[in-house]
Amino acid sequence: MVESVIEVRDVSTTLGGHSIHRGLSLSVARGEVIALIGGSGTGKSVLLREIIGLLRPQAGHIEVFGQSVLDSTTQQMNALRRRFGVLFQDGALFSSLTVEDNVATPLFEHTDLPHATCRRLARLKLALAGLPPDAADKRPSELSGGMRKRVALARALALDPELLFLDEPTSGLDPISARAFDALIRLLADSLGLTIFLVTHDLDTLFSIIDRVIVLSNGRVLGSGTVAELKHIDDPWLNDYFAARASEGETQHGN
Amino acid sequence: MTETRADFDEARGTLVVSGAWHADAASVLPALGDKTVRAINGAGVTQLDTNGAWLLLAAARPQASDSMPELQAFQPQHLAILELVSRHRAASAAQPERRRESVLAMTGRGAQVMAKHALGLLDFIGRLSIELLALLGKPGSWRWREFAAQVRSVFVGAIPIVSAMLFLLGVVFAYLLGDQAQQYGANIFVVDGLLLAIMREISPVIVAVLVAGRTGAAITAQLGTMKVTEEIDAITTLGLSPLAVLVIPRMLALLIAMPLLVFIGDIAGIAGGMLVAQQQLDISYSMFMDRMVDVILLKTLVVGLGKAPVFAMFIALIACRMGLSVTRDARSVGANTTSTVVQSLIAIIILNAIFAVTFVRLDI
Repeated sequence: MVESVIEVRDVSTTLGGHSIHRGLSLSVARGEVIALIGGSGTGKSVLLREIIGLLRPQAGHIEVFGQSVLDSTTQQMNALRRRFGVLFQDGALFSSLTVEDNVATPLFEHTDLPHATCRRLARLKLALAGLPPDAADKRPSELSGGMRKRVALARALALDPELLFLDEPTSGLDPISARAFDALIRLLADSLGLTIFLVTHDLDTLFSIIDRVIVLSNGRVLGSGTVAELKHIDDPWLNDYFAARASEGETQHGN
Repeated sequence: MTETRADFDEARGTLVVSGAWHADAASVLPALGDKTVRAINGAGVTQLDTNGAWLLLAAARPQASDSMPELQAFQPQHLAILELVSRHRAASAAQPERRRESVLAMTGRGAQVMAKHALGLLDFIGRLSIELLALLGKPGSWRWREFAAQVRSVFVGAIPIVSAMLFLLGVVFAYLLGDQAQQYGANIFVVDGLLLAIMREISPVIVAVLVAGRTGAAITAQLGTMKVTEEIDAITTLGLSPLAVLVIPRMLALLIAMPLLVFIGDIAGIAGGMLVAQQQLDISYSMFMDRMVDVILLKTLVVGLGKAPVFAMFIALIACRMGLSVTRDARSVGANTTSTVVQSLIAIIILNAIFAVTFVRLDI
């Protein structure tokens, strides 16, 4: 039997009078690389924040590693948070700390290792995330957008989580950096055996590194499967979404 | 579940490890000293992550450049992690401790920063003057709405705190002065002393300190945040000058508001003194007023009020410049706001001393 890492059942959310999720259910198995897609305002980021316990849905049930997120005490939740890493959309790096200290912070706070060891481990994580060694002493404001994302990824990986949440990991990156970042995520997923749950708009990400895509529409899961399977679903938004890429291909052909 | 352990087998030079190897496993590593680890045996390892792999490798090979120890009986997925980590280990070499700076070096650096601030202020004044000259020719492009909004927040918003503070200072001052004067039967001279102190020194300086803390900090934080969110860049891109749109209205608002606040402070301070004089020193309100008309010189009032625009100018210059020189992170907004208040206070103290000496020399 495949162990499920994330289990969402019948979640309903209303924000500011708007109904966002209406009885949404999904589950993610260990080792899967999952992408959550959907039009603007379908509550992708809201769902992500609910799973990691930053927002509470009005109704439903959410489990991460078999532990209920909604019924956990703060202590239980903090113990759970050690087991997953989150990469926020804009990196959310601490601007007052150097890159190295940003990555070392989770190690300082959650392990008994000496600070010098934490810093050396932080440098290892930065190297794993593909950053040059001289980036470690810089401040986040001195880095480019792509490098900031890598630092944020290194920080998310600091405690070696089993599960990684990525909120639009490639948004705001140029296509070359975005593909390099995709490749990095896949490499880490394969070599470290991570489960990855990412929210994205980026079609190229879907085609290159994703095991399974989950589509949100009208507050529910419209469908889930590989990209090829999803193309058979007849839904106006989904058709337009994939058409965006198809027309791009035609233009290239025309030229 | 196997216990997390690490034992060194001296005879074979093998580190035998078992259990779950995470960051927390560091405590079970034996002290190896300078014994050579030829191999690591991982037959009993149930879990291994990159932190655990790094700890094992670092224990066996303190120098990242040394060749890998032989890895025995690890499961394939653990072997893959060990190899991944060992490939990137060079990056995690121990860094030399950053050297602490000596007091001399810190003093030097501080002096450099102060010199840079002074030069930057001069540069800012220059650019601002050019902008002001350009605006003088075009009265239509003055930002009157922004100016009015600033006057409202700088002046109207500060009235309660200014009156409360000066009223209480007047009370304290009159009380202490009266206590001394009473011993010589010179009660009525309390009025002279109070008027001189409040109008000439206390009200201008206290109001300036309040405005520096209240408005100066607010201006820096606001302009700094606008810089971080690229609003300042947007203003420039629209063909407008941030100096004309943001800085000049704030500066003028402060120039207008400060003398008014000092005047309000004068009245509040005198009212506080009057109250104490009547209660404590048997000087009725009418006696106080008569004496006030006799001793007060227009000069005293004008000197006090005249200092206000100068203080205002410096506070506005410092606050706006620090706001616009924020770099794009949250830390520098905080640092520059602090710097604004400190620089303003220093400027106020120095200016006030210069005024005091000058007025005495000029017999004013």
